[in-house]
Amino acid sequence: MDKRTIIVIQFGFWGLEKPVKCELSVMMLSWEFPPRVIGGISPHVFFLSKSLAQNGVKVYVVTCDFPGAPAHEVIDGVEVYRVDSYKTPSPDFATWVYLMNLNMQKEAANLAKKLPNGVDVFHAHDWLVATSGIGLKHVFRKPLLVTMHSTEVGRRDGIHTSAEKMIGETEAWLTYEAWKIICCSDYMVSHVRWAFGLPADKLAMVPNGVNPYVYTALAKEDLTAFRRRWALPEEKIVLFVGRLVYEKGIHVLVNAVSKVLEKVNAKFIIVGSGYMKEQLLTIVRSMKMEHKVLFAGFADDATLLRLQKCADVSVVPSLFEPFGIVALEAMAARSPVVVSDTGGLSEIVDHDWSGVKVYPNNPESLAWGIVKILTDDKYKDYLVENAYRKILDKYDWDRIAQRTRKIYEDVLGEYSKSFWAYRSEFPTERGPFIQGS
Amino acid sequence: MRVIIFSWEYPPRVVGRLAEYVSALSTQLVKNKVETNVVTYHEFLTGATKEANGVNTFRVSNPVRTHIGVLTWVLTLNQEVERVAANIYFSSHKQIDLIDVYDWHFVPAAVTLKAALDIPFVYSVESIEDQRSPAANTPYSMAIKSIEWLGFYEAKKVNVKTEAMRDDIIRVYQVPMEKIVVVNPNANSWTKELLSLYNSVSGGLKNR
Repeated sequence: MDKRTIIVIQFGFWGLEKPVKCELSVMMLSWEFPPRVIGGISPHVFFLSKSLAQNGVKVYVVTCDFPGAPAHEVIDGVEVYRVDSYKTPSPDFATWVYLMNLNMQKEAANLAKKLPNGVDVFHAHDWLVATSGIGLKHVFRKPLLVTMHSTEVGRRDGIHTSAEKMIGETEAWLTYEAWKIICCSDYMVSHVRWAFGLPADKLAMVPNGVNPYVYTALAKEDLTAFRRRWALPEEKIVLFVGRLVYEKGIHVLVNAVSKVLEKVNAKFIIVGSGYMKEQLLTIVRSMKMEHKVLFAGFADDATLLRLQKCADVSVVPSLFEPFGIVALEAMAARSPVVVSDTGGLSEIVDHDWSGVKVYPNNPESLAWGIVKILTDDKYKDYLVENAYRKILDKYDWDRIAQRTRKIYEDVLGEYSKSFWAYRSEFPTERGPFIQGS
Repeated sequence: MRVIIFSWEYPPRVVGRLAEYVSALSTQLVKNKVETNVVTYHEFLTGATKEANGVNTFRVSNPVRTHIGVLTWVLTLNQEVERVAANIYFSSHKQIDLIDVYDWHFVPAAVTLKAALDIPFVYSVESIEDQRSPAANTPYSMAIKSIEWLGFYEAKKVNVKTEAMRDDIIRVYQVPMEKIVVVNPNANSWTKELLSLYNSVSGGLKNR
């Protein structure tokens, strides 16, 4: 099949079949897109959009603005629109999100109505763009797809406050309005089904991907001098990358520090920031381990990629992890991984084959895993080789884009038989009641 | 002419005096052969109804039940208002002459509908945040003011009841005077003046 899709719009009600040739176009809604990087959604939407564009899908990304980034640009065929993300003060984060969505929806609508072929599918990422996704679906009468990267009940390990309940209910509403929900792991599929009581056929699993070529590009570079900036030559580097928040289990790693140091001379490098930073610093100070634990804060891409290449072991001690992209990145960077046996991480890593799995929330177990890798080079090489082969095989963006495109086509096939598809062609006089009101 | 009115109160849900006003207004509109659709909020009496006075009412509730403030409640509820208005639009040959939105609550829905479907709107003002909480610059008040500002900016015409209100809006939001129309609800010519305001917004072409 050529790069353009043929969508056969079936007017089931009228018994007509009218082939309409057009390029499949999708509008991605995401609250973060590079250079705005807050969590994993940003790189996900970036690589997914680029790979979809290479697979013949026209992608428009509507996202929040960022200082220095242009309001409109084209990246490898992907049209990126950055909209005013609401600068007026808001009483709290959730209110900001809903206000930002008002601007986003307005700008997205202004864009979509001007496109000659319109938009075939709206694709929202997480509750942060819930209201704009739902609104656009109804004003343009096009299917809405949602990727649920995470859930509030998972992030907070239960619902404790009104704000969390509100966000959880917004997520439930979003999944209700969505035609299909994409999750990045089998674990997340069952978690989302459980959290929102959804039918199985509403969910689809498409893994998150990783791009190993950003690391192979660094293969020729001599990183000795770079490494010396972070650790002494005799120290092994133990790397953590992630937000410093409870669900990432960073406190488990900090509690494992002294247990590791009993066996191996190592330097713990912690990249990322978050509300737990002060608390963690206090623990490290009280242990008198300031010279062994380095809080590096947020690192730019160039630094992060090099750190991942230098790391003698990468640690992902999450308590809740829908997918675990950092583990995948470490595997692509040929760094051995120690992960907690939970969520998406359980699916990415096979114990004793592509990494080491340890018990979640257990510093002894985590220390054991780190020491096992740092003290056995042969074992380490074996893990790294297997892990690299696995990511080339399973987590390739091109294959992921093809699977995503297939979901778009399936949804549009179902949509073409719905009354929304033929009503807009043949509007009928209104009856006593308006459907769906 | 076919109009949609957005009001956050409408009988039987009466909070202030707006409910009675919008009810009287829509009755008058129907008498003047204007197809009137009122989209409003009710906790449980949801759905479409043809009222005895000939007005079509559409009551929506908020799919998000728990809230941390008026703003989150209003902003999520707007999606339901927008959804129902879009349903009316698609069931009416895509021809809605205008939306008349009462106060800031449903301004977001009017703005996004205008962006997507090119439906012009009138922003009818009962009161503004600066009068309710004078000189307040808390994030909460600022957020409401920003929604009001958006309404004044995006509306084709602003409808007020008194000249004092018009002057306040000009003072606080620097809205051009010619954009604001004063219609006194106690005058005998009330309905006539309102219809001429509606006609000026819809272009006066689509009288059916």
